[in-house]
Amino acid sequence: MTVPSLATRALDLIATEWIKLRSVRSTYWALLVTVVTPIAVASLVAFAFASAPHAAGQQAAPPPDPLLPELLSLEYAVIAVSVLGVLAFSGEYSTGLIRVTFTAAPRRRAVLAAKAAVLAAVMLVVGEAVAFASFGLTQAVLAGHGDGVSLGHPGVPGAVLCTGLLLAVCALLGLALGAIVRHTAGGIAATIAVIVIPGIVALLPSPWSGRIGRFTLLEAARQVSALHPATNLFAPAWSLLIVLAWPAVALAVAAVLITRRDA
Amino acid sequence: MTAGTIEVDRLSKRFGSVTAVDDLSFTVRPGRVTGFLGPNGAGKSTTMRIILGLDAPTAGRAVVGGRRYDGLIRPLREVGSLLDATALHAGRTARAHLQAVARSNGIPRSRVEEVLRLTGLDGVAGRRAGGFSLGMKQRLGIAAAMLGDPPVLMFDEPVNGLDPEGIHWIRGFFRELAAAGRTVLVSSHLMSEMAQTADHLVIIGRGRLLADTSTQELIDSSARHDVLLRSPRAAELAGLIAARGGTATPQPDGALVVTGLDAAATGELAAAHGIALHALVPRQASLEDVYLDITGDSTDYRAALS
Repeated sequence: MTVPSLATRALDLIATEWIKLRSVRSTYWALLVTVVTPIAVASLVAFAFASAPHAAGQQAAPPPDPLLPELLSLEYAVIAVSVLGVLAFSGEYSTGLIRVTFTAAPRRRAVLAAKAAVLAAVMLVVGEAVAFASFGLTQAVLAGHGDGVSLGHPGVPGAVLCTGLLLAVCALLGLALGAIVRHTAGGIAATIAVIVIPGIVALLPSPWSGRIGRFTLLEAARQVSALHPATNLFAPAWSLLIVLAWPAVALAVAAVLITRRDA
Repeated sequence: MTAGTIEVDRLSKRFGSVTAVDDLSFTVRPGRVTGFLGPNGAGKSTTMRIILGLDAPTAGRAVVGGRRYDGLIRPLREVGSLLDATALHAGRTARAHLQAVARSNGIPRSRVEEVLRLTGLDGVAGRRAGGFSLGMKQRLGIAAAMLGDPPVLMFDEPVNGLDPEGIHWIRGFFRELAAAGRTVLVSSHLMSEMAQTADHLVIIGRGRLLADTSTQELIDSSARHDVLLRSPRAAELAGLIAARGGTATPQPDGALVVTGLDAAATGELAAAHGIALHALVPRQASLEDVYLDITGDSTDYRAALS
């Protein structure tokens, strides 16, 4: 028997993970929530933004970032994609299926990489689709009130693209934490904690909320996705690195632990 | 010659202060069914997990065909295994499960359909595995193990949950695999199960090797060969047996249990003295008895059998 090339083996593992992902119903439920929630929330937030100053009968406040509704809405989908990421490993650990997986593919880091590749690819496509759909929807609502921006506006396409990244980032973070924690409930709790709890620093007194907050995933993501980035946080380019660093660090930890522990 | 053999060499595994496998060595050879026996908790599953590269040994090593499992490029083509039949995603169909496993080792889809037919699952391949009985899950696990048509096969407690028809099928299946020259290692905690299937037995207790022997040798090695006899002149006969170097132990019901003399010698002795015999029964311990003796106290029997 000839030894198959590294590329062939990598493709086989990726194909295996693709079969696994699309052969269970939980994937489709999670994707449904991932697509529907942000689009619904984006429309509502846009309406709220557009109508708030008029309803209060006051001089219009300085307009909020026109891209904010879209990001806020995506943050609601983050939970669903994180769960999908966690389940990719925790589901196999809880059923014992992980032993079937690792006997079929003893190079465990290759399994981690294949799961990450499939999840990232799916979430990138879904995330960008949802981001551009939410953008279109919110801007249509805001435009009716004269606050909208078009996709041709400088800085907008990049910001929307980066917003779409958030789902893949959170799915990978969930995947890594699922591999680290190895239990579904614990993995979901850990992922939500890592994503949401650092938001507490926003409650810190003025300079500190920014100094620490700029390192948190969601603050960095807002910075990347904003048309008018905040001045007390990192510049968007640095913030993008921070957004990507969260799953990268988690995946690195998972890669170390996955080969050291008994399956 | 290491092709197709499983070699376990001075293997130890400790979980904290618990020693699951303790300096265990044995070799599993092709062409026969090897039963891997021991009471629950003896270390069988841990040993199998180490062979499959799932658990790291504390000391020693296990190799298949001379190579460590985690160094195999397409492991399913060299070793097929079933550790836990319930290790399935409840929502995935049997076919999708097998397709996922097959694809990871570059095994074509046509082979998935073959193993489904081989295990009699072709009629339920499109159903979700969560609705399967334990027996059907065992068949699905065996189907997965056969995907790569491997020369070495390992099954952990495969008979659990099978109905009588399934048990009959699986015994014949293991024997066929061995007859085709494959290496077949089957674990069980029940000797009765292995007695009818295994040609060779590796028995462990508390992680240590207790016996590594053919099934027949194990029966023969038993100290429990004796002769039960009944006679109206039992006491007189007991004296004659003792004089010939045998031991006759009176039973509460008046019978004698004779060791040290076989049935023929005992019968001749009685005839020579004109003593009538009402019963003369050579008795041999069953495999089950031998197994219980061996595993009943591991340390004693380790000494007794070596």
